Amino acid sequence: MANVTLSKVRKSFGAFTALEELNMEIAAGEFIALLGPSGCGKSTTLRILAGLEFPTSGEISIDDRRVNDLPPGKRDIAMVFQSYALYPHMTVAENIAYPLKKHGVKRPEREAAVRQAAELLQLEPLLDRKPKQLSGGQQQRVALGRALVRDPKVFLLDEPLSNLDAKLRSYMRAELIELHRRLGKTMVYVTHDQLEAMTMATRIAVMHGGRLQQFDTPEMVYNCPANRFVASFIGTPSMNQLEGRVEGGAFILGPDRIAIDRTMFRDDLADGPAVLGIRPEYIQIGRGPLQATVRLAENTGHETILTLELSEGSRITARVEAGSRHKVGQVLSLGLQNDAVHLFEPGENGARLNKEQTGAAVIPMRAQ
Amino acid sequence: MTAIATDPPMLERRYARLGVVLIAPTILVFSLVIVYPLLAAIYLSLFSIYTPTLQGEFVGLDNYAKLLTQKAFWSSLGTTLIWTVGTLSLQILAGVGLALLLHQNIWFRSLARSLVLFPYFLSTVVAVLVWRWLFNDLYGALNHGLMQLGVIDMPLDWLGSMPNAMIGVILVGAWKYFPFVVIAVLARLQTIPEHLYEAARIDGAGPVSRFFDVTLPQLRSVLTVIILLRAIWDFKEFDLLYLLTGGGPVTSTQTLSLLVYQEAFGLNRMGQAAAYSVGMMLVMLVFMILYIRRTGRES
Ligand SMILES: Nc1ncnc2c1ncn2[C@@H]1O[C@H](COP(=O)(O)OP(=O)(O)OP(=O)(O)O)[C@@H](O)[C@H]1O
Ligand SMILES: [Mg+2]
Repeated sequence: MANVTLSKVRKSFGAFTALEELNMEIAAGEFIALLGPSGCGKSTTLRILAGLEFPTSGEISIDDRRVNDLPPGKRDIAMVFQSYALYPHMTVAENIAYPLKKHGVKRPEREAAVRQAAELLQLEPLLDRKPKQLSGGQQQRVALGRALVRDPKVFLLDEPLSNLDAKLRSYMRAELIELHRRLGKTMVYVTHDQLEAMTMATRIAVMHGGRLQQFDTPEMVYNCPANRFVASFIGTPSMNQLEGRVEGGAFILGPDRIAIDRTMFRDDLADGPAVLGIRPEYIQIGRGPLQATVRLAENTGHETILTLELSEGSRITARVEAGSRHKVGQVLSLGLQNDAVHLFEPGENGARLNKEQTGAAVIPMRAQ
Repeated sequence: MTAIATDPPMLERRYARLGVVLIAPTILVFSLVIVYPLLAAIYLSLFSIYTPTLQGEFVGLDNYAKLLTQKAFWSSLGTTLIWTVGTLSLQILAGVGLALLLHQNIWFRSLARSLVLFPYFLSTVVAVLVWRWLFNDLYGALNHGLMQLGVIDMPLDWLGSMPNAMIGVILVGAWKYFPFVVIAVLARLQTIPEHLYEAARIDGAGPVSRFFDVTLPQLRSVLTVIILLRAIWDFKEFDLLYLLTGGGPVTSTQTLSLLVYQEAFGLNRMGQAAAYSVGMMLVMLVFMILYIRRTGRES
């Protein structure tokens, strides 16, 4: 069990800054997801932890020990690469056994460990093949196996499930959760799939443009997003964000007034421009102060997603039961569930203005 | 139905005929420059021929009997093998070593990469002149340098005595041809994905392990081809040896190519020379079969 700390880590490639002032404290045994859009610096962060990339400035420590100057082999980590990086001339079994061999593990123990990993990852029939003879998903499982046979302090996984089909992916998701529970090892898991992050991680680090946006539990990231980016990035369909202004006890949206409960918001909330955020599931159809026209009704089978146009022109999405019959062009009245309203500062990535725990009923995501 | 069934074979036959027409010129040229001389050599080897007049009588397999029973061919074959193995090993060692070095991020890398090619592009005659000057026992720079360093206290006769002469030609051969190895290996090194090294570092492999577990397996196929090709070329090397030592002292650096030349134009025994060259060809056939099987398996 080892904790991991990044403090004031900066990384630039020439003039381009990939990471800016990254601070992260990961407790021993946590399962951390690094989540963010492509190019936000997730892999770079992981590679800095692994020692494959040197930070331009800042400190990294693993198990309370500064590791800035330690080479990857000495950091006692295992890593799964986004590109698998399997040794092409070795068989699957030899690939999985390689790190053990380099750590001086004896042959019988190596073989036992390989068998165990192969069983977990459903690789038994493939052990004698070369990587070239495997599909992408199979290669990915071998890469996972090569990391899992070891007993490192920290596991670093760079999108290890991205090439698996849906069924195998949900199986592997469950296996990884189970594995983490059993081993209790610290894991840092890069993904751009929010479902993976929400279901597996104990805490999610949401990144954007080389900056850490929020570092919190899945519930908090979903229910109390720190800013507009996190609010729109987490959740599908994403949170509705309506630009307007706060005036006293109301949010003014074009011609409409939406009553808000000022006690939910920070005491320094002033009148003026703001952004109102509300998730699609908290929009109440059929009663309320707003008028909207149905523009699109998408039935996904277990629910229907409505795209609605408000009278002042902005569009919002609402999530309703699958059975509900709404026709395009139909005019509805709607309201917002009062205790599920978020307010953000205006501007591209405005901070949230709610008091900490307000905005939605807290839904437990993963039993810890 | 029948028309459809017979269609593909007809088309195939037309393509086959077109194929024959297209490769015909190559086969013709190949026959003229390779098959004809080969058959002519085999034919000549059955005669006892005086080179200046090209006249002689049929002697059957006598020339081959001499090849088998007399020392000349076999001692020359031994010399050829020593030369080939010696110079080839040095070429590979120096070539791979330098390729690994030039693959690193050293600051003069691109300059060094072009300089390395220099010996390979240099005409053999020029290279030999330079080396004969370096090796000279009266005014040679090599002896001078070695004496200054205190390695030797008397000038050495580099090309006129054994084993110095063999060491000398092996060194010059290695110097002349190692750039080929550098270029071929360097090209392959650049295609090895960087993440393999990263994975190996994380798996706990040191620099030596990384060389043997990542680099070398990736170089294996290119090295096999290089070794086979260079073995064939070194085995039949003529101009470098002829110009540097002429096969001397006496016959101690006389490889098979030089023996054939000596027999044909020195001793004017064209028939015997032809028999030697057929013998030489049979030895090289072994390398060639290996090479063809190797490249065939790759594709
Ligand atoms: N060696 C490098 N040289 C220059 N720029 C780099 C280098 N490595 C990464 N970058 C840049 O740093 C940024 C972050 O890259 P990174 O690989 O960490 O993204 P990521 O979050 O892992 O994205 P993805 O989800 O697509 O894998 C990108 O804009 C990328 O172009
Ligand atoms: Mg990445």
